[in-house]
Amino acid sequence: MVRAILCTGAFVAASVLLAGAMKADGLSERARKLHFSCIVVDTHDDTTQRLLDSKFDLGTRSSAGSIDIPRMREGNIGAIFFSIWMPSKVTGPDAVNRAIVQIDAVREQVRKHPNDLVLATTAAEIRDAHKQGKIAALLGVEGGHMINSDLGVLRAYAALGVRYMTLTHSGNDEWADSSTDKAVHNGLTDFGREVVREMNRLGVMVDISHVSDKTFYDALETSKAPLIASHSSCRAICDAPRNMTDQMMKDLAVKGGVVQINYHVGFLSQEFRDREKANPELNKTISAEVTKRCADNQSCQLIEGDRITREYVEQGKLPRVEFSKIIEHIDHAVKVAGIDHVGLGSDFDGANMPYGMEDAAKLPKITEALLQKGYAEGDVKKILGENTLRVMTDVQLISRELNGEKQKQESRLQ
Amino acid sequence: MRRMVVFLCLISCSCAGLFFVRCTSADDIADRARQLHFSSIVLDTHADTPQRLLTGTFDLGKRDAEGHVDIPRMREGGLNAQFFSIFITGKTLGPPAIQQALDQIDLVRQNIQQHGKDLALATTAEEIRRAHAQGQIAILMGIEGGHMIGNDIRMVRVYSALGVRYMTLAHFYNDEWADSSTDKPAHNGLTHFGKEVVREMNRQGMLVDISHVSDKAFYDALEVSKVPLIASHSSVRAISNHPRNMSDDMIKVLAAKGGVIQINYERNYLSEEYRTAFAAVAGDVSRMEEKFKKECGDDNVCIGKAEIRLEKELTGAGKLPHVSWEKIIEHIDHVVRLVGPDHVGLGSDFDGADMPDGLEDCSKLPKITEALLRKGYSEEDIRKILGGNILRVMEQSEKISKEMQAAQ
Repeated sequence: MVRAILCTGAFVAASVLLAGAMKADGLSERARKLHFSCIVVDTHDDTTQRLLDSKFDLGTRSSAGSIDIPRMREGNIGAIFFSIWMPSKVTGPDAVNRAIVQIDAVREQVRKHPNDLVLATTAAEIRDAHKQGKIAALLGVEGGHMINSDLGVLRAYAALGVRYMTLTHSGNDEWADSSTDKAVHNGLTDFGREVVREMNRLGVMVDISHVSDKTFYDALETSKAPLIASHSSCRAICDAPRNMTDQMMKDLAVKGGVVQINYHVGFLSQEFRDREKANPELNKTISAEVTKRCADNQSCQLIEGDRITREYVEQGKLPRVEFSKIIEHIDHAVKVAGIDHVGLGSDFDGANMPYGMEDAAKLPKITEALLQKGYAEGDVKKILGENTLRVMTDVQLISRELNGEKQKQESRLQ
Repeated sequence: MRRMVVFLCLISCSCAGLFFVRCTSADDIADRARQLHFSSIVLDTHADTPQRLLTGTFDLGKRDAEGHVDIPRMREGGLNAQFFSIFITGKTLGPPAIQQALDQIDLVRQNIQQHGKDLALATTAEEIRRAHAQGQIAILMGIEGGHMIGNDIRMVRVYSALGVRYMTLAHFYNDEWADSSTDKPAHNGLTHFGKEVVREMNRQGMLVDISHVSDKAFYDALEVSKVPLIASHSSVRAISNHPRNMSDDMIKVLAAKGGVIQINYERNYLSEEYRTAFAAVAGDVSRMEEKFKKECGDDNVCIGKAEIRLEKELTGAGKLPHVSWEKIIEHIDHVVRLVGPDHVGLGSDFDGADMPDGLEDCSKLPKITEALLRKGYSEEDIRKILGGNILRVMEQSEKISKEMQAAQ
C-alpha cells in the first residue's frame, strides 16, 4: 500500500514537471492529443471467447474483462486483432470447425456494430477505418493446430480474413514446437516450413509468439516476410520461455519484424513469476477455483482466472505488478531491437492484467508514460501502431510479389 | 377471347414459319444459332468437376479425353458461366464434412487463381457479366447437400463468405434437417431448424436449391423462402418418373414464385424407358455410391466412371435403350409449355452423371441453342434459357439479401 502511494506521488510530480497541465485522470493534454491522433493497434485480444457467449454484447460496457466498444473508444483502439483460439489439445476437424465458428462470431459482431466496427485485412483498410472513425477488427489464429495440417484450411482462413497465425499455442502441434512443451520436431518440420511459405504467399503474418526458440529461428530463416510476435515480452526482464531473448529480438528486427509487448503479469514481472514458481500449489488452487466457477466455459475461465489472481494479490499471496512494467518492457525492446520494431499485443481478455492497465480504456497511460520517459511523439506513434502497420504493408507487398512469381512459374510450365 | 388469341397466334406462327422457309436456309439457322449462342451468357448451374480436381492429376486447362468439362471444351461450347459443385457423400457428417467442403472450396478457388486468364470467381450476376465482357469464364460455387454445414447454421454464413452462392438442401440421403427424395422421410420435409437454414440462406444471398429434396421438403422451402427457389439440376417427372425429377405441379408453383428449374442431362432423369430398364438391371441411379462402394470407396470420379462403364456395357448388350440428347430439348420444352420461358435453364450435371448420346461434353452445347431455334423459340427466350433466367433469380436474391441485412 505504502509503495503504491509513493509510486503514485512520484508519478504525479514527474508529470507536473514534464507535461504541465494535467487532468483528473492523470493524462496530460500533450499525451491525450497525441494518443487520440494515433492509430493504436493491438495485435492480440482473446475477446473472441466472450463473443461465443450469446449474452455478451460487444457494444455494451461490461464490468468484467478488458474489451468492449465503449472501452475501446475510451482508450482509442484503432485496430484490434481478435484471436481465434482453443487449447492445443483440440485437434483434427473439430479444431477446424471450432475455429471457423469463432471467425464467424467476430465477423457477426462487425456486422452487428456497423457504426463502430469494420472488418479489415490490410494496413490501408485500417487507415480507412480510422478516417471513418471506426475501429478496425482483424483476425489472428492462435495456434497452428487449427489448420489440421491442411493448407486448404489455412487458405480458407485467409479467405475469411485471417491475417496472422501463431505457429503453435502452448503445446506442440503436428509441425512446430512450442516454447512450453517438450521439443519433438526440432523447430519446424518440412511441412511447417511449407506452412510458413504459404502464409507468405497468402499475406498472412507469421506469428512466432508461443513457439520454441528453434521454431522461431526456423521461421525466421524460412519466411520471406518479416515476422511478428503478436504478444510476447522480454525474457531479459522476465525469464519466461514464452518471452523473447535479446538476441531473438535483434534477429527479428534485422528482418523487419515487430515484437508486440504482452501485458500478462506472469510475463512482465520476474517477481511474480518467481512467486508463482515457488508456490506451484497456488496455480493448482487457482485452476481448481476457475474450474469450479466456470466448468469448461473458456470465456469464463479467462475472466475468472484474472479475477482470482487479483484476489490472491490483494491477499498478499502474489505480488502486485504495476502497468509501468509494460513501459519497462517496451523500453528494453526499443533499446535492443530499435524503435521500429516494438508494438502492443496486450493479451486482453486472455491474461492477468497489471494494476493500472485493467482494460482498453487505460491505454492512453502508455502514451503518457512514454512521453514522460522522453520518447519523441513520432516514436510513440510507431510503438502505438505504425510499426505494425508497416509490417502489414510489407507482408502484403511480399504476398503480391510471391503470387506474381507463382503465376509466372505456372505460365512457364503450361 | 382465349380462342381468339390462340387463333391469332396460329396465324402469326404460320406466317413466321412461311417467312422462315422463304428467307432462310438451314445453314442460316445454324449461323444464327452460333451467333446467338456465342454472344449469350451460357450459365450452367451444376457440374461436379471439383471431384476431378480432387484427383490431383486432372488439369482444367488442358483438353481431356475423359469427363465433360475443361477450359478448352468450355471455350468450344461457349459455356461461359459454370457453377462448380462442392460435394462429399451424404454419409459424411459433422466437422469432417465441414473440413472436406472447405478443402473443395479452396481447390476451386486455387484452380481459378491458377487459370486467372481464363477463369474468374463470380459471386453475383454483375460479376458474371463482367467476366463475360472480359472474355473470361465465370466460375461460381454451389454446395450440394445440407449435410456439409455440419448441422451448424453459422456455416451458411461462412460458406457464403467464401463465395458459395447456392446450397442444395439435401443430397441422396436425408441430412439432419431436410428429407431427400431418394431416402425414407425422417423429418416430414424440413425441420424447424431446416426452415431457419433457408431463412439464413436468404439473408446471406445463397440461393435455395431444391434439387434432390423430397416433395414435402420442396413445398416447405417454397413456403419459407423469401427468394425464388432454384432446382440446380432437376428434370421433368412427367417425362421420366424419377422422384429426383419435378412434378408438373411442383414446376408450376416454383414458377409462380419466380423460380427456375435447370434441366439435368443424366440419362436416367431424361428418359423413362432408360430409367425403368436401368433400375431393373442395375438398381436406382441414386444408389450407385452403394453399388460401387467396394470398388471405389468415396472416390466419386471412380463411381461416375463405373456407372458410365456399366451403361456402355448394358447399352451395347441391348439391355438399355439409347438416349438421345434431344431428350434435353423435350424437357426444356415441357417446362416452357407448362410455365413459359422464364423458368427453365441448364443444369447439366456434367462430370457427375451419364450424358446422353450427342451431348457427350460441354463442347456440344451449341446444339441446344440450334435445336431451340429450329423449334421456333425466339432469340430472347433462348437467351433466357441459356442463362438469363438464373441471372434474374441471382439478382433478386442479391436484392433481398441486402434488404434483410439492412433490416436487422
